[in-house]
Amino acid sequence: MSTISDELKQEEAEKVENIDYKMVTFSLAGKDYGIDIMKVKEISKAKRFTYVPNADPYVRGVYNLRGDIISIIDLRIMFNLPAPKREEASFEDMIILRLDDYLIGVIVDSIDKVVGINSESIQPPHPIFGDINIKFIKGVVENEGRLYLILDVEKILGDTRHEEETNAQPQLVKQPVREPEAEQDHAEKTGETDYAFVVETLQTFRDFHVTEYNRNWVRNRFEEWRQQRTKEGAEVQLQEAEDADRFLQPFYSPYSGGFWGTDYCSAVKEILKQLQVQGNVMVWNPGCGAGYETYSLAVILRESFPNSQLKVWAHDNDLLNISTAPNLIFSPAEVADEFEDYTVEGKNGLQFNKEIRDAIFFEFHNVLHSNPFPEVDLIVARDILSFQKQDEQDRLVQEFAEKLKPGGVLILGSREEIVSDMFDDISNGMVRAYKKR
Amino acid sequence: MRVEYINPFVEAAFNVLREVLSEEVKRGELFLKSTSQPVLGVAVIVGLTGDVEGRVLFDMKKSVALTIASQMNGEELQTMDDLAKATISELANMITGQAVTKLHELGFKFDLTPPAIITGDNMEVSNSGVEALIVPVELQAGKIEINVAVRERA
Repeated sequence: MSTISDELKQEEAEKVENIDYKMVTFSLAGKDYGIDIMKVKEISKAKRFTYVPNADPYVRGVYNLRGDIISIIDLRIMFNLPAPKREEASFEDMIILRLDDYLIGVIVDSIDKVVGINSESIQPPHPIFGDINIKFIKGVVENEGRLYLILDVEKILGDTRHEEETNAQPQLVKQPVREPEAEQDHAEKTGETDYAFVVETLQTFRDFHVTEYNRNWVRNRFEEWRQQRTKEGAEVQLQEAEDADRFLQPFYSPYSGGFWGTDYCSAVKEILKQLQVQGNVMVWNPGCGAGYETYSLAVILRESFPNSQLKVWAHDNDLLNISTAPNLIFSPAEVADEFEDYTVEGKNGLQFNKEIRDAIFFEFHNVLHSNPFPEVDLIVARDILSFQKQDEQDRLVQEFAEKLKPGGVLILGSREEIVSDMFDDISNGMVRAYKKR
Repeated sequence: MRVEYINPFVEAAFNVLREVLSEEVKRGELFLKSTSQPVLGVAVIVGLTGDVEGRVLFDMKKSVALTIASQMNGEELQTMDDLAKATISELANMITGQAVTKLHELGFKFDLTPPAIITGDNMEVSNSGVEALIVPVELQAGKIEINVAVRERA
């Protein structure tokens, strides 16, 4: 377990920006293979397939996957590889593939992990490859000292039937499947594989990148998630975008996407007492969305620093979201009572008054591009780091440090954290905050 | 780029183009760009000053420029001669002018410089320190990219 998690960490650390191809790796008869992760719906364990009479020898039968009947193919038999004789009741590792419009399960010896590579490093297969017919191999790639054959599942299992395999005779090897301690090892490894899969799918479905800034939360959440899902009898892995949303639901900071409530406002005010300002208060609010957060912040700042000139740069790269922000209209029920003094009745509903609105610059802007404004006293960047790629996260944190005046305050999402000698942690219960040294 | 600035430019481009070409124009997806990008062949630059500093760049292929110039003049133009260049510059001026008027109505003070037209192959434009908003416009003759790069005066 430790070696694998070490390996995972190391792998994440080594990730460079040109990783653009991910594959699920597994072994067949001791050799390493990979399948494009975009073709993989999930990985799973199963036993007791329903035998289908008169089917090709490599068809192990059909299986009921939560209501969907899918065919199960044994890749080892299909490729004429020795298949260990199995005990009737033992679980086997299975990869569920999504091909065109149907699902198919393939049995492999064991599933390893997810490997990210640069697609340019994939080399074409050499024509004299033995085990598997060459046309089924997309290429060969080397990763951390291991060679992986990347299978072209579409060609192998696609609609065209391959007569040549139907005559293949299975070679059954008489050997015990696994040692008992290996079994336990495997169970732990599956937990790790599930975790790695969750990490991958978060990225695929919601562009959520697990890094040092959020790993502690993801780890804890994964444990909680696994227990909850196991209790419900549901899959641990995230199978669709909705699962990713459910997984991430506790991630978002309080009052995400809405006006801040009284409790959060007072927590932020408490943090702002740490801030020394002279004259102007300059604030940067990247990832402001539709502006609810920015207006809440502006009101709090106005109350905390009544004698200062206030200027808030609010950025988002979602045009649709931010385009309503400058003239945000809302109903009295949406806002906490503290905000009442700062609102005016407009034609279509309640609006913030001119003083607050004039203090905020809403800009359609990508924070990863250059940020052309002077140094700021406060940065409020809730839940935006995690949705950038790893190297971009590092760059953003660097950018935050550069843009902040000494003694300036950085507020992050409640589940995000940074460990850096540039910042002191000044978080209180609800608000995650750092002060620049 | 401030959200308030975006719509005036997009609207002005559509109004003017629809009017001078008397055809339906389609808008592509708006996006932001900070790296340098190739220029298609004919580029008109209009500078902006006032509350902001920056410029608007209208970028199109030579064939598109010729088609538009021909349509606006009511005669077939074969080469990028003075008349064609003046016509395309005027188009850029009209669009930017209308956008600036709309911005004035919203309370922003913008001034513009006379347009400059640049033609040639293998050119690229880079915006150091400002990101550009790209507004792609689809015409029957081809595509015009309107590239707006402005920043607040500090």
